[in-house]
Amino acid sequence: MVGYFLRRLLLVIPTFIGISLLVFTITRVVPGGPIERLMTQAQLGGETGGLTRSQSSGSTLSDEQMEELKHYYGFDKPLLAGYAEWLGKVIQFDLGTSTRYQDPVWDIIKERFPVSIFYGLSTMILTYLVCIPLGIFKGMYHGSRFDSLSSAVVFLGYALPSYVIGIALISAFAGYFDWFPLGGFVSDDFAEFGFWQKTTDIFHHAVLPLIAYLAGSFAVTTLMMKNALMDNMSADYMRTATAKGLMRGEAIRGHALRNSLIPIATSFGNNISLLISGSFLIETIFNIDGIGLLGYEAVIERDYPIVMGILVISSILYLVGNILSDICVALVDPRIRFGESRT
Amino acid sequence: MSSIVNRSPEKAQAKPDACLSVSRLCVSIRDPEQRDTKGRPLSSEMVSDVSFTIAAGQTLGLVGESGCGKSLTAMAIVDLLPKPQVYQSGGEISFNGQRIDSNDPKALKALRGKKVAVIFQDPMTALNPVQRTGQQIEEVLKLHFPKMDKSQRRQRSIQLLNDVGIPSPENRIDAYPHQFSGGMRQRLMIAMALAGEPDLLIADEPTTALDVTIQAQIVALLKKLQQERNMAMLFITHDLALVSQVSDHVVVMYAGKIVEQQDVPHIFSQPRHPYTKGLIAALPAAVARAPKTKLDAMPGQVPSIDAMPTGCRFANRCEYANERCEQEAPELTAHETGEISCHHWQTINEASTSGVSKNV
Ligand SMILES: Nc1ncnc2c1ncn2[C@@H]1O[C@H](COP(=O)(O)OP(=O)(O)OP(=O)(O)O)[C@@H](O)[C@H]1O
Ligand code: SF4
Ligand SMILES: [Mg+2]
Repeated sequence: MVGYFLRRLLLVIPTFIGISLLVFTITRVVPGGPIERLMTQAQLGGETGGLTRSQSSGSTLSDEQMEELKHYYGFDKPLLAGYAEWLGKVIQFDLGTSTRYQDPVWDIIKERFPVSIFYGLSTMILTYLVCIPLGIFKGMYHGSRFDSLSSAVVFLGYALPSYVIGIALISAFAGYFDWFPLGGFVSDDFAEFGFWQKTTDIFHHAVLPLIAYLAGSFAVTTLMMKNALMDNMSADYMRTATAKGLMRGEAIRGHALRNSLIPIATSFGNNISLLISGSFLIETIFNIDGIGLLGYEAVIERDYPIVMGILVISSILYLVGNILSDICVALVDPRIRFGESRT
Repeated sequence: MSSIVNRSPEKAQAKPDACLSVSRLCVSIRDPEQRDTKGRPLSSEMVSDVSFTIAAGQTLGLVGESGCGKSLTAMAIVDLLPKPQVYQSGGEISFNGQRIDSNDPKALKALRGKKVAVIFQDPMTALNPVQRTGQQIEEVLKLHFPKMDKSQRRQRSIQLLNDVGIPSPENRIDAYPHQFSGGMRQRLMIAMALAGEPDLLIADEPTTALDVTIQAQIVALLKKLQQERNMAMLFITHDLALVSQVSDHVVVMYAGKIVEQQDVPHIFSQPRHPYTKGLIAALPAAVARAPKTKLDAMPGQVPSIDAMPTGCRFANRCEYANERCEQEAPELTAHETGEISCHHWQTINEASTSGVSKNV
């Protein structure tokens, strides 16, 4: 089994190369790249990036300057050579420099990590904390009034787009009632707070965006839990358990429950990539400086080093998450032993 | 009615060695699609007036085609019917002289697994796939012998695995169900059933999912264990040949009703009901003489639950059926060697023994 996972780990490399090469190619061929942006900016005589400001004084760029720019961005090399160079740097943990901020990409992303991880982790923990018990209860009392009612609520949250929920929450509880701040991750005078005040400040700011994040995320996990439990409750081995003398509750706890947690456990690994990829819509509405917003702005501004940097991190997390999922399956389900023949 | 044996509860209780006594058991199924005028779901009776007794150390074979209500009868005994859709709608079930269909959770807990154990048809799905076999057997011990400590439970489980013929039980006890073959899994089920040291073992088609050689081994094992422990056994099957190997007595069911019951020698030497005769004719020995499949021997199908005939339920397949059969349901009547439910059983028997016309 260890061999199997080592092989899976090695497979991450070609998969990663595939994904990043694809996106790298797209950044090369789509119009509106950084050079074109600079050219239009130069032509309009408007504000330009730090690099060009020192180099161009006229309204158009000379051929020489163009060459210089292309060289700077690596656009003078053929696609594959450019990609190889980029990859070579990534391996040394150098994600390049943002064309917009002129700062190292890694530093910019790193700055946003705490915010994104805070929201990602809280969403994940709260989702499991609510969905697992709710799903179990709904499964045990399938068809009851509580079951139908909670389904209606959960699906309403699922059907409403999160930005609609976000805007509604802001207008109601931050605008009309003024119970919560209008946005941001922390207050402006956060640095002066004591530890306790800091903690409450973060959570005070987090309530509304968290609700917006969570509203849509309950449906899938709750229903997954409920269906898995119901499948297992009607399984033959549950009848065996009852015939042994276990009461319904004991049989569910002792047998059906653990088996129905298997699908939940296996989806766990996939969720770790969600840890850093917040929704840019919610981040925009609540003015949260997370990675979702950063990525969105980078795409709009054609800040390709940042786009590629976020891609590198999220695709590695995603690939590792998949392997984690498989490890979880193998841990909880004895029938599955990857890469081994049955005995 | 007065001449019918084993039918009234008083008689069943009067018989001191009757371990299990089922009297006029009815099981009904609710159809959620169909409702009566008050909007309640309609139910139809799937098992009607089934009565039998089993004495300690005896095996009763319950035989009938698929869908005739054998499993419903068995599940009703241990209250394992999938309620509320399927429920006991009449009759009494007593165990060692005590009513057990009282729906008292405590009584049920003491009954299931301890006094009455069940082996199910499909050993591939009846075991929990993610628990080690040892844990699943020890669970029974934990429930019913709370005084046993951990190592005693393990010791006992190993011994049980040994009893049911699982090689090197010390190692196999930590294996998972999927690591066993079908036959071995059924042995695990038997070990689990025996763990509570039950007085009655209900085996619901325990060998149907297994191939023929394994089938013979499992049946022989059940027979041996039953005799060693003086258990009563309810052996359910659609295979009359198997019944002849294990049972002392046979109850033949058709479409939810008992059509005939006799002891094993007589049911084979003197089958009285046309359905029993058909089943016997379809046995391999008979097939060897005149190659016929079971369906050739008995054309037609069991009537479905919502189209139960008012008369004899076997009438549409019976070669002796006449008008009376279609209008009037026959009662179960006692004779010297058992019970029979057929209007024409006496004439049929004369006819078949003398070889004269079959038209009654
Ligand atoms: N849960 C249920 N809901 C609806 N109908 C049921 C249910 N269980 C059984 N039945 C019906 O009751 C009838 C008798 O079922 P039962 O399982 O007792 O048959 P059986 O004699 O054991 O047959 P087999 O040899 O196939 O096991 C079947 O025709 C089936 O359609
Ligand atoms: S009662 Fe009539 S139909 Fe029914 S088995 Fe007897 S002869 Fe056949
Ligand atoms: Mg059955």
